[in-house]
Amino acid sequence: MEVGRLPISASQRGKLISAGYTTLASLSSLSPSDLARDLKIPESEALEILKVASHDCRLDQPDKSNGIFTGAQTAWEMLHEEQSFPRITTSCADLDNILGGGINCKEVTEIGGVPGIGKTQLGIQLAVNVQIPVDFGGLGGKAVYIDTEGSFMVERALQIAEASVLDMSHYNELLRKELRTCQVEIQPTDILKNIFYFRICSYTEQIALINHLDKFILEHKDVKIVIIDSVTFHFRQDFEDLALRTRLLGGMALKLMNLANKYNLAVVIFNQVTTKHKEGSFQLSLALGDSWSHCCTNRVILYWNGDERNAHIDKSPSLKSASAPFSVTRKGIRNSASNHKRIKLM
Amino acid sequence: MAPLKALEAEYRILDPNFQAFCASHGIFSVEDFLIHDLYELAAFAEQQPTSEKLKQGITQVLSIMDTQHQPWLNGMELLDDALHNKHVLSTGCEGIDLLLGGGLREGQLTELVGPSSCGKTQVCLLAASNVATKHMGNVVYLDTGNSFSPQRIAQFVGHIAGHAFDEAGKGIFQRIMNSIVCHSVFDIFTMFNVLHRLVINFPSQLQKGGQVRLLIVDSISSLITPILGNSGSQGRALMISAGYMLKKLAHEHNVAVLVTNHTVGGERGIPKPALGQTWKSIPHVRLLLSGDHGNNVRSISVLRHPSMASGKAANFSI
Repeated sequence: MEVGRLPISASQRGKLISAGYTTLASLSSLSPSDLARDLKIPESEALEILKVASHDCRLDQPDKSNGIFTGAQTAWEMLHEEQSFPRITTSCADLDNILGGGINCKEVTEIGGVPGIGKTQLGIQLAVNVQIPVDFGGLGGKAVYIDTEGSFMVERALQIAEASVLDMSHYNELLRKELRTCQVEIQPTDILKNIFYFRICSYTEQIALINHLDKFILEHKDVKIVIIDSVTFHFRQDFEDLALRTRLLGGMALKLMNLANKYNLAVVIFNQVTTKHKEGSFQLSLALGDSWSHCCTNRVILYWNGDERNAHIDKSPSLKSASAPFSVTRKGIRNSASNHKRIKLM
Repeated sequence: MAPLKALEAEYRILDPNFQAFCASHGIFSVEDFLIHDLYELAAFAEQQPTSEKLKQGITQVLSIMDTQHQPWLNGMELLDDALHNKHVLSTGCEGIDLLLGGGLREGQLTELVGPSSCGKTQVCLLAASNVATKHMGNVVYLDTGNSFSPQRIAQFVGHIAGHAFDEAGKGIFQRIMNSIVCHSVFDIFTMFNVLHRLVINFPSQLQKGGQVRLLIVDSISSLITPILGNSGSQGRALMISAGYMLKKLAHEHNVAVLVTNHTVGGERGIPKPALGQTWKSIPHVRLLLSGDHGNNVRSISVLRHPSMASGKAANFSI
């Protein structure tokens, strides 16, 4: 392994190479003071370099255990793991259907659509639904809600939470009439308590918060969903250096991926739409450009079809692209009313 | 650029006396040594009291340099290596296999370029399933976007094997699924570590019989984009280093490497591959995928190939 591939700064790397330390082996038996003298850097910095180097050096021994290196998983293990995880329902059966049962953990899902289509409604619904107890087929987790637009309405969240609790007790009565002891213990106010809300006012804050989330979730292990509503807002204002924007967004997406994977939680990102000039006509597409469109695992686009709200799966590694109608009611996201009629007719 | 001092620990002949002699001629590093007139240096060494030892030292440094480069091969040996060790792995997608004359070549770096949701990941997953099922090879999948879908792999494997796995087939199915290894990487340094460990583990894998035949990085561009372009050239250096490492791995261990790259809007809105000119020269084979929304037919064309005319195109569906 060469020094050039260590995660250290360019100037440190240059100093190391010009002092003759080109391989990790040459660093292995050095004391920090020796290195500090040779490179003419403070001892604390030398200690830092040696720490990084010795971490990487330990990887040099072949894994005796099983031939597969640590941190990797086989497809077989992952298949079983994936099947055992519950998904977060959207409360709309049709939408759940095309999503393969709901929003999946360990994945980053991007949802975009025109203003007023119900992005924020869906966000609040998910923040509530993630808390459905395990007994009711939910995850019993908590939610982190990152609000960049100031559109989170707490009264609306309470309304949706109340409807959700009501649904749960209905379900309870239907299913276990004889078991009176099993009551719905969760209260709408508890649901509000378990939504961690962050209000973000600039893109610097947004990046800082996402860097901090790792620590936050370590302290609150039961967070099962991170909702960002919306990722776009601050990045569409005052940004002249587009290359810098792409880089910042790319880095942010990788951090979110890492979070999703490490803590086994779902990340849901909301995005705005923009018009794009394509083959002579203007078409609506999601904002933030081509590079960003690679950053998420799944992509769902919400659109109007006549008077009906529709969701379309635009990108997914495992799901077919499909569309389903949904509606926003007083209770939250539900099946489209007209869809019910159609089923009855058939 | 390594100083001569660094060699002293290994080679006793390059003692402080030798270093002092070199220093008196302005030679402090191996690089200085190379650009110096060696005959002149030897002549000066004659005049010194310890001339024998100094001359031995000079020969020693030269022989150390000689061992630093790879041994040469002649054309026949290269051909032999190509015929016996560099097999062609079919991707399981007829259109692509026909286009590439059989599929992915071991020892080569193949790059898939295309806009979002054009089927890059699907081709990767299909190739992984096919190599594991038909070629009995191990597959290493480096995933940067949590887009590795075991469910989809299971579908492909079932489809390729051509029958549903009954009780007896379950063992085979499990073996195939176990031969695909996925590793999530979220920054380029993690990728370096993983690749490094992969190289170290190669000999032990050979003994067990399960050799890695295909390495997939999906997608390499999302690892490189965040480090590219910020002040200084370190990002670029890391990108080249990554490409070099992948190619070396492919050549020395006879592995087919498949990476994916995204597109950016180029001149007049025509999409072009990301990562710029520097990366352009790294992959052996470059394939452009494009998909049409609404129907399932995707088209693929060759942008760059070492032994085929570029510009050929084929259609396929997923």
